[in-house]
Amino acid sequence: SSLNVTPSSIVRRPPTLEWADLEPVPQDEGPNPVVKIAYSKKFSDVYDYFRALLKKDERSERAFALTADAIDLNAANYTVWHYRRILLQALSKDLRKEMTYITNIIEEQPKNYQVWHHRRMVVEWLNDPTEELAFIAEILSQDAKNYHAWQHRQWVIQEYKLWDNELEFVESLLEDDVRNNSAWNQRHFVISHTTGYSDPAVVDREIQYCLQQIRKAPHNESAWNYLKGILQDHGLSSQPGLLEKVLELKETHCSPYLLAFLFDCYEDALENTKNTEEQERQETLSKALEICELLAQEKDTIRKEYWQFLGRSLQSRHGRSPSEEPPAAEAESLPASGAQEAS
Amino acid sequence: TLLSDREEFEQIDFLKDRHVRFFQRTLQVLPERYASLETTRLSIVFFALSGLDVLGSLDVIDKDLIIEWIYSQQVLPTDDKSNLGRCGFRGSSHIGIPYSTKGPGVLHPYDSGHVAMTYTGLCSLLILGDDLSRVNKQGCLAGLRALQLEDGSFYSVPEGSENDIRFIYCAACICFMLDDWSGMNIQKAIEYIRGSLSYDNGFGQGAGRESHGGWTYCAIASLCLMGRLEEALSPRELDRIRRWCIMRQQSGFHGRPNKPVDTCYSFWVGATLELLGVFRYTNFEKNRNFILSTQDRLVGGFAKWPDSHPDPLHAYFGLCGLSLIGEPNLRKVHPALNITQGAFQHLQQLHQTWRSGCGQQH
Repeated sequence: SSLNVTPSSIVRRPPTLEWADLEPVPQDEGPNPVVKIAYSKKFSDVYDYFRALLKKDERSERAFALTADAIDLNAANYTVWHYRRILLQALSKDLRKEMTYITNIIEEQPKNYQVWHHRRMVVEWLNDPTEELAFIAEILSQDAKNYHAWQHRQWVIQEYKLWDNELEFVESLLEDDVRNNSAWNQRHFVISHTTGYSDPAVVDREIQYCLQQIRKAPHNESAWNYLKGILQDHGLSSQPGLLEKVLELKETHCSPYLLAFLFDCYEDALENTKNTEEQERQETLSKALEICELLAQEKDTIRKEYWQFLGRSLQSRHGRSPSEEPPAAEAESLPASGAQEAS
Repeated sequence: TLLSDREEFEQIDFLKDRHVRFFQRTLQVLPERYASLETTRLSIVFFALSGLDVLGSLDVIDKDLIIEWIYSQQVLPTDDKSNLGRCGFRGSSHIGIPYSTKGPGVLHPYDSGHVAMTYTGLCSLLILGDDLSRVNKQGCLAGLRALQLEDGSFYSVPEGSENDIRFIYCAACICFMLDDWSGMNIQKAIEYIRGSLSYDNGFGQGAGRESHGGWTYCAIASLCLMGRLEEALSPRELDRIRRWCIMRQQSGFHGRPNKPVDTCYSFWVGATLELLGVFRYTNFEKNRNFILSTQDRLVGGFAKWPDSHPDPLHAYFGLCGLSLIGEPNLRKVHPALNITQGAFQHLQQLHQTWRSGCGQQH
């Protein structure tokens, strides 16, 4: 059914008076069309006239009205949207009305690329983002992980510097669903563009926040990914007291992600602290290998082969002298891109 | 019967003939409710053709007729070449250009190629055994250059659209197939790709955006096609990306943490893992069981989830997912270019011909 379209724009059985001057242009599929779509007469009428207008590049009210019919039938047709934008400008149409129009369409079809792109264009023309955050929040209330909505939100915030209340918004979403990976991503987006992560007070606060969320819901990859993500470039093993806290959590709030994090801490200690005594290094290595075994045999068995592979790799890099250990499996040296690179 | 129990099980469970017929029907006519696919029909053609190729069943279609239709979607340069920046392939005839498989191009205010259609059009021609001699390389490459932005990403059409990593992948495939990287600024594309690497070591659609299996595939496959994987990403980064990818397996694969599994990610994430050399460490059985649980036993094809309607995209990627784990009777797929190894070898032969100067290039 059509939205916001005046009845006179709907093409009745042609030719009607207001369209009589136009020769409709059918789709020319040639003698052997492939993946042909079987359109009803009503559908092809609208598009036959659309094609006629397009050919003439007609800039008129009837053309503008027809784009709404064409969109109603297929909102993914990017040519129709482009033509509509040309007409919006050529006819100096009311962009506020257009915002209402596009709001309604996105509500109905929130996973369509063209409608979000159109909204972005109108917001840019109006240079007015004031409706955006509320609108996107409404769309996210129906699907809190809609990728288009989050992308549009990031664009608006960055373009118009609307950072002020976003962390609060993120936290309310995480209250609703602490496993919402999009919200965790947005948290990183906001903080990295505002305070950044170089201030130790910020990092501490974020670590505490993560651990708090993990205590509430231990089996949550998003929280662990965030924790690792904010620390990995400064050395997981260098954050004082963190390893101990994680070891504590291991007893009561264990998960494959916790164990993987532990492994990564041990690996970081081995890779990046060169001055430790050999004895201590071997202890760290042995703890790391224990974690691999635990993951492979019990806690993350679907990735058994991977954890065993990681264990072998770590062993071959940091194990004792070669004569005591089995040789690193040569077949495991990873072809970075397989044999698939350009010949 | 001479088959082992396992072989019988595998044969019974995977309904090859149904899938062949699913793709055959796709290539014929779709009902009006598929209207939203109109402007991307050429990509649907690709799913069906490549699907049939993976099934080893291209013999059921008339290749020459389809080749003609594909060439009729090429936007060719006009006599005065004023539209070079708009050349490439259309998704379909929806604009209303009169059917033609040869030039010169017809000037029309709104006719231009679409980067994903140029990419899937070229793949489809290769799959059908065409030698690309009727492809206007100069037009395709000029049309491609016109789409790249300052930040290294691409629009899909010269009129403008959203811009992101998907279209970098399309561009990389086009340059790779045409054996000509003048179609894009590789350095800028690499910068955009690197900029899309998330804190959690997957790739988003652009900087700051949530990491996702599809965009991660686009990032890694593009770098592989460019031959720049190890130049663009350090060994440590690659290890971290491997970890992000391998954590996507739940039974089948999902595209983002804490999202449900979906058949197509068995390819997007699976192929990425293959390109990174660690696909062998995934659990093949659970992956296979999930993909097959989304098989439509009546109509053929695969759906994103069990008990859902199949569609050409999931039908194709379900097959590719099975091919990656070595499902019997499925042809192998080149993980970066996403065509069968057979079609890839045909492309390599064309490249040899072009480079030795024997073939015509224009």
